[in-house]
Amino acid sequence: MRWLASELHTHTFHSDGRQTLRKLASGAAKLGFDCIALTDHNTMSGLGDSELIERETGVVIIPGMEWTTFYGHMVTIGLQDFVDWRKTGQSEIHEGISMVHGRGGLAGMAHPFRIGSPVCTGCYWEYEIKDWNDLDYIEVWSGTFASVKPENRRAFALWTDRLNAGIRIAATSGRDWHEQANTDEPLSVTYLGLDDEPGTISQKAVRALAQGRVSVTVGPLVTMEAEAAGALYGIGESVTVQNGADLIQLHVKIDFSVRQTLWELPKQDFTLKITGISGTLAQCAAGFADQLYGFSIPAYGLIWARAELWGVVKGVRTMVAFTNAIYFEPVATE
Amino acid sequence: MLLNVSGQLAPIDSKRHITHQFRLDKPAAAIQIRFAYGPKLLEDDGQAKELIMISIGSYIAPEQQSPVREGWRRYLPLKNLLTLSIDDPDGYRGACHRHDAEQNLFLSEQEASDGLLSGKLALGEWSVTISVHSVVTEHCSYELSIWTEEADTA
Ligand SMILES: [Zn+2]
Ligand SMILES: [Zn+2]
Repeated sequence: MRWLASELHTHTFHSDGRQTLRKLASGAAKLGFDCIALTDHNTMSGLGDSELIERETGVVIIPGMEWTTFYGHMVTIGLQDFVDWRKTGQSEIHEGISMVHGRGGLAGMAHPFRIGSPVCTGCYWEYEIKDWNDLDYIEVWSGTFASVKPENRRAFALWTDRLNAGIRIAATSGRDWHEQANTDEPLSVTYLGLDDEPGTISQKAVRALAQGRVSVTVGPLVTMEAEAAGALYGIGESVTVQNGADLIQLHVKIDFSVRQTLWELPKQDFTLKITGISGTLAQCAAGFADQLYGFSIPAYGLIWARAELWGVVKGVRTMVAFTNAIYFEPVATE
Repeated sequence: MLLNVSGQLAPIDSKRHITHQFRLDKPAAAIQIRFAYGPKLLEDDGQAKELIMISIGSYIAPEQQSPVREGWRRYLPLKNLLTLSIDDPDGYRGACHRHDAEQNLFLSEQEASDGLLSGKLALGEWSVTISVHSVVTEHCSYELSIWTEEADTA
């Protein structure tokens, strides 16, 4: 499977960014991104020359818009048409989300725990969510060196909590990239796993996010497959468990070759963890080289599992990478 | 002049949209918009501190609050934020979500200011929506003027 290195949250002069789309896309290309989503605040006018810029830079540009409202910022991507962000009240976000879905778009919470108004207007999510199944994703890592920021740890915990409640929802990173400025801080990459179905790369990327085929990292790409009753299931897929007494085999791959030379981590032994509803299900040391790791996990009580890579980044012990979840459901018995 | 209005806002107007309508009756080469509001900044640090502390209380996790309270000055200055969006008789023509307290914008068939969509200037009912994201000063006044450029002078 091809994993597309993506940056899903960006701005240009068409809202409050300080860059043209051309500058943004060529900056993304230099950083090894294959794909960006343009998510200007409340406008899609910046997409006018996106096809030309895609050809010039080789970077796929997913159309999008960040709903920049009084009650939250919601990133919407994959839709060509404008959906009105002004009419949705604090208890009406589901109407807004269905309009986005109706136009073929996905909706995600942007930086849900960033400090809100008046410091950062509407930045903290205050829309009432009645059904979490409606939202497609949560931007759990916002900004640079995201994993250590308290508001991102809250967003990550919110995601875990939703998974524990049985909700199937994806998790992404987003730099909320406003200008071409150099930084020493680690950059997150959202990898989207492309399928072999028909469509443009942009459409496949949106489909990958819709289906939870997502892995996030500041360095190596971590992917995972589950093996049950001889069949293999990828990230985002659902495994039907025949028997609670079964063991699920998880195969985790760490690939250090991605975006080579464009990220740097100190040579070290990482910790590779498998996490599920009861916390850490298994863990082992992982070296600084491409390798496959296998885990046997009892199926009993398992509803989701993800892989997490932990290590030291800029002197801080923190998460380096995480996959989205593989889901498990017991087969209905008569 | 198609529209020339001014208004006075107060903190209670935060999180409100204000829509001004205007009619385009004659074909035009361009629509020009000038929007300005002020003051932009809350200059009184005492008042700003009070608002920042409320935000910290509402939005920062309890266990993180004390270090964030200590560093409250990093959120200065607090700003008023009003943004514009435009609708023509057929639908949305974009938004200008940025912090400039004075914006001179235009729309024409071929070109438009960043944030707005170029395209036909259809005759009929247009509107400009001022989205009051935040007013932190006691008063905030705005002015909005809209006029056209004649088709033959463009
Ligand atoms: Zn935002
Ligand atoms: Zn943003």
